[in-house]
Amino acid sequence: MNAYSGLFKMTFKGELQYRAKAISGMTTQLFWGIMYIYLYTAFMGGKIIEGFSVSQMASYIWLGQAFFVLRYVELPKKCGKEIENGDVCYKFVRPVDLYNQWFFEHLGYKLSATLLRFLPITVVAFLLPKSIGLSAPVSFTAFLLFLISLLIGAVLMSALSMIVVYLTFKTMSPKGTSTIVQTISGLLGGFFIPLPLMPQAVQTILNYLPFRYIADLPLRIYIGNIGVQSALMYIGISLLWLIGLVVIGKLLLKNALKKTVIQGG
Amino acid sequence: MLYNRYLKMHRKSSFQYKGNMVMLSISSVLISISELIAVFLMFRNFKTVGNWGFYETALMFGLITTIYSFTECFARGFDEFSKLIKNGDLDRLMVRPVNIIYQIFGSKMEFSKLSRVVLGLTVIGISLAKLSINWTVAKVLVLILTLSCGCLVILGVMMVGAGISVFSVENLEFINIITNGAKEIGYYPIDIYNKWLSRIFTFIIPVACFNYLPISYLIGIGSLPNIVYALSPLYGLIFFIPCLLFFLWSLKKYQSTGT
Repeated sequence: MNAYSGLFKMTFKGELQYRAKAISGMTTQLFWGIMYIYLYTAFMGGKIIEGFSVSQMASYIWLGQAFFVLRYVELPKKCGKEIENGDVCYKFVRPVDLYNQWFFEHLGYKLSATLLRFLPITVVAFLLPKSIGLSAPVSFTAFLLFLISLLIGAVLMSALSMIVVYLTFKTMSPKGTSTIVQTISGLLGGFFIPLPLMPQAVQTILNYLPFRYIADLPLRIYIGNIGVQSALMYIGISLLWLIGLVVIGKLLLKNALKKTVIQGG
Repeated sequence: MLYNRYLKMHRKSSFQYKGNMVMLSISSVLISISELIAVFLMFRNFKTVGNWGFYETALMFGLITTIYSFTECFARGFDEFSKLIKNGDLDRLMVRPVNIIYQIFGSKMEFSKLSRVVLGLTVIGISLAKLSINWTVAKVLVLILTLSCGCLVILGVMMVGAGISVFSVENLEFINIITNGAKEIGYYPIDIYNKWLSRIFTFIIPVACFNYLPISYLIGIGSLPNIVYALSPLYGLIFFIPCLLFFLWSLKKYQSTGT
């Protein structure tokens, strides 16, 4: 386990160095946040839609921007190039488990990128007027559950990203594969549009899929759109998905590695 | 003609890896489809926003998608200009006895974006059919003018981004706000945003001049005289000239990063 926590720390610290990148990233996120808030305010026109008030929608949007990096699935950094150009073979000869290595590197990268960005965005959003800013969580319990589901969501996101690794071995098209999975999981997970705006039947189906537990659940627990009891149930489901996806991901990767042929030397 | 050779070369090289090309085309059209689904869901829940309904907005979406993707496909060299600087290819282009702008156009093409152009044109077609517009020759001309001036605006923005990257090789994310932000803003009628945001995207980065304003003319709404809406795409032409001049000026200031 030591080797993996080392890898995790290494990427984590490495990413913290890129402050300029984080600042420009934050500016972008602030811009998106403001834009989406005007958009939804115009559409909602002061009404309450599917249990969302305008100020709840604003909080939802700001949280989404603050934790942006944790909310989407993508191929782990560098991984695509390594698979495409064959450098991945150096990893084969090392005495570490490839799944764990990529998994922890990716998680470390995502968490550190988030740590650099979320605080300034939340502070700015808190200072804005209530109707367009971030409000406090509905209760302390909700806040705790928000943190728990956010962390589980981050790990779940890494587990799904590892499925993308497997698919990339199969398709040999890192960018295409990554974008396709990112788009599908984004649409089904509430990354493109808040899930309460989807038809009821679709929402019911989405409860059984893993995607909403990454981008949707934590935010809606925070704003009180999902009560404590259902939150606990959903967190349970997301844990089941987490275990399932890690097991599936490990098996798939093992299978892919068995069949991998490295050309040239 | 030289441009035909460029086309042939890029076509050959990108279709060398057919599987990859297919995946990239699918992924790029999939993004647009899910964005369109988002627009649809907004209208499914809220019916209208101001004077605008789903098909009017879909027309905007189609125009923006077509114009952006078309420009991204054929002007990729400007879009990824910092790469030309970083790997030193720009130096090579500059010593050749052919116009530099011409060569940058030829330096890169991204055919996978064409899948999105097809989607965009389809959406334009469907929404125009649903909107029951009284077509006149003037309206057809305005539509053509909109498409061509729109491409010029995007090209202009890319050129400014490229010009800036001459002075700072860092990949500047705020260019990303301008290009992607403008795109996202253009998916919805610009009058729903607040004043300063809509003014910026009307006058400074004139997205409105190739969707909101000419569409107002096509479907016949809006409070200004018709002629203003009809000729609004021409503002894109005015916008393009200083962008081009800035790019040419920055090329003069270019110092090689050395190899």
